[in-house]
Amino acid sequence: MNFSDILASLIHDMKNSLGLVINTIDDLGQEMQAQENPKLGTLQHEARRLNSNLITLLSLYKIDNGQLTTNIEEIDVEQFLYEISVDNQATANNMGITVRYESDEGLVGYFDEWLMRGVINSLIGNGLRYSSSQILIHAEFVDDYLVLSIDDDGNGFPQSMIDAQTAQKNKKPEQGETQLGHYFASLVAHMHSNGEREGFIKLANNQRLGGGCFSIWLP
Amino acid sequence: MFFKPGLLENRLYLVVDDFGDMRSMIKNMLMACGVREIRLARNGNEAIEKLKEERFDVVLCDYNLGQGRDGQQVLEEAKHRNLLGLGSVFVMVTAENTRDMVMGAVEYEPDSYLTKPFNKDFLKTRLEKLIAKKQNLLQIEEAVEKRNYTQAVQILDEKIAAKPANCNELRKIKGDILVNSEKLAEARTLFEEVLAIRELPWARLGLGKCNYLAQNYQQAIDEFHRIKTQNPNYTLAYDWLAKSHKRINQLTEAEEILKEAVSISPKAVPRQQMLGEIALVNQHQEIAESAFSKAVKHGRHSVYKHPSNYANLAKVTAENHDGVAGLQVLKQIKKDFNKDAKADFYQASAESLIHEAMGNSDLARTSLDKAADLQKSFDQSEDSDCALELAKTYKNFGMEEESLELLKGAILNNHTDEQLMDEVKLTISSLDMDEQAVGTIDTIREEVATLNRKGVELAKNGQLDEATKLLKETSTRMPANRTVNLNIALVLLMSMEREGPSPAMIDEIKGYLARVAKADPNNNTLQKLYARLKTMLSD
Repeated sequence: MNFSDILASLIHDMKNSLGLVINTIDDLGQEMQAQENPKLGTLQHEARRLNSNLITLLSLYKIDNGQLTTNIEEIDVEQFLYEISVDNQATANNMGITVRYESDEGLVGYFDEWLMRGVINSLIGNGLRYSSSQILIHAEFVDDYLVLSIDDDGNGFPQSMIDAQTAQKNKKPEQGETQLGHYFASLVAHMHSNGEREGFIKLANNQRLGGGCFSIWLP
Repeated sequence: MFFKPGLLENRLYLVVDDFGDMRSMIKNMLMACGVREIRLARNGNEAIEKLKEERFDVVLCDYNLGQGRDGQQVLEEAKHRNLLGLGSVFVMVTAENTRDMVMGAVEYEPDSYLTKPFNKDFLKTRLEKLIAKKQNLLQIEEAVEKRNYTQAVQILDEKIAAKPANCNELRKIKGDILVNSEKLAEARTLFEEVLAIRELPWARLGLGKCNYLAQNYQQAIDEFHRIKTQNPNYTLAYDWLAKSHKRINQLTEAEEILKEAVSISPKAVPRQQMLGEIALVNQHQEIAESAFSKAVKHGRHSVYKHPSNYANLAKVTAENHDGVAGLQVLKQIKKDFNKDAKADFYQASAESLIHEAMGNSDLARTSLDKAADLQKSFDQSEDSDCALELAKTYKNFGMEEESLELLKGAILNNHTDEQLMDEVKLTISSLDMDEQAVGTIDTIREEVATLNRKGVELAKNGQLDEATKLLKETSTRMPANRTVNLNIALVLLMSMEREGPSPAMIDEIKGYLARVAKADPNNNTLQKLYARLKTMLSD
């Protein structure tokens, strides 16, 4: 057994513990019945961030080993976004942020549900840090791509990040958790292809909520 | 205060997990959703026991259950034994690292996978969606259960015409029904329509199956291969690819494909079994040993447990290592099968060979006689695999004639079973039998087909008595032959329809139909004849 295998198996074990921690915090929140509880919010948020970072780490490890391939399925996008918003609602509420989603009824997408869920959860986790009051998950078809975007009403991405995105498409991130999350999202987007076309990511500011907008384009 | 009952309440739930914390956590989540009836099980055995006692609406089963069955095996057993109602929802709870393993499932899939951790709200929305979906499909499932495929397709067409969000899901179900009821032209059109819009593996697989069933094996291979290239994890395509290669005698290719498939998902017992059997014919003893040992290991708690895997493992272990090690493997049969005649047969057959190789001639003889006696007592259609096994054993003892006799019997009794005929051919080629022997297969099959044709023709001309006589004579030579039994039942039915029912004849018909039902309960002709008999008796 080499070191990275040990790491992978330990991460997996940590994830299980974390799962129990997250659920216990959720239970506590319900018992306290407080409408807004910043301390609980921080606990929930950080635990969930740990969890999605571990998922990212495991997935990157698998991609590196060539073990991760996509399982493209037909997804009811509205239901998918609904589940994600429900999943993040409790944490967001405790931080005083609302999570909404917008999608046309009957929108159907083709992607790996599990991977995309991981990507979007981790992006929402980022968004929660930078947003001031709301986050919007939005889905639509543009030029035959399914575009899933996460908007917040914070200060937006630094201009340097937006300018750099064409240059660093496939470059490994140098440092910083946000960039690792973006790198993972970009890898996953590229793993989705339809015929000749591949998926990609886009960063922008001042879109639907005035803050940062991260979008994933899937063919 | 208003109380609005939701979809989740007033239903019976089963939660299966080996961790107490996890069980109570899920139970609490369900209770917070308003659910009151929740049963808990700690492992696969308990789950099966609970499933036998009550009909559950929702089963939440963890994939990892410690010792014994895993979640997939619980699902397989529940489906296999009909322990789940038509509208029941089965959710497999997984840690993310089991996902790929789970995706390699062969036959049965859960209604949904749920990745840990999840919270109450998430569980609630997911279950609501699944229950609503099942309710929407209930009528179709009921029609399929009654084999009323036309009605099922009709309901599906109505739903598809409304262009709902889950349109392709409905098309997929329709495609499966069309393939199963052998409406290949319609099925092909449907799959091609779907593929014209988007490349989807299930549609490509459907197209491949249509080609396979229409005996266009090369085209089938092309389709399955395309899926494999585009979706390397879609192991179902590997199974069909291997099956197609095997059908046209490309055993090297079949073995290579299966080797790839088991490296992606090692726990599928039928896949390991097929790999082992093909590796044996290709004389790759090491691969065969590895495949059979995995088939035995993963099959121990599975509905796919089969004594032939133990016997093959014992034989190949004896060859690769020594006889003592081989005999040691056989001890496991006794442990894993309780008073099972077929298991006894396989044990005796393998024992005889191993003893013979070790120079224990007397012991070998005793075992061989035991195997032969057991084989005679079996149904020659349902247990045709035993005839082939004994034929191989006889050949190893140099008893060519006895061996050939058994193979002929297997052909006579199962002449329309293409897969079994392939097995017979494989057996003959792997045993270095006379080339002429291969020819006899086709001769015998032709002879049986001619007799059947004659019988049916006589019946059509109204010569029912002559038809009955000819077919019954044929039947004495091949009592388990499905076509013959079905034809006799048909002709007897025709004479009852002409001359009125008689209790003796009804019993006779039921007897012939029962012979077929034993080995092939889903046979379409059989079901039609049962229905015809029922209509006649109710008039």
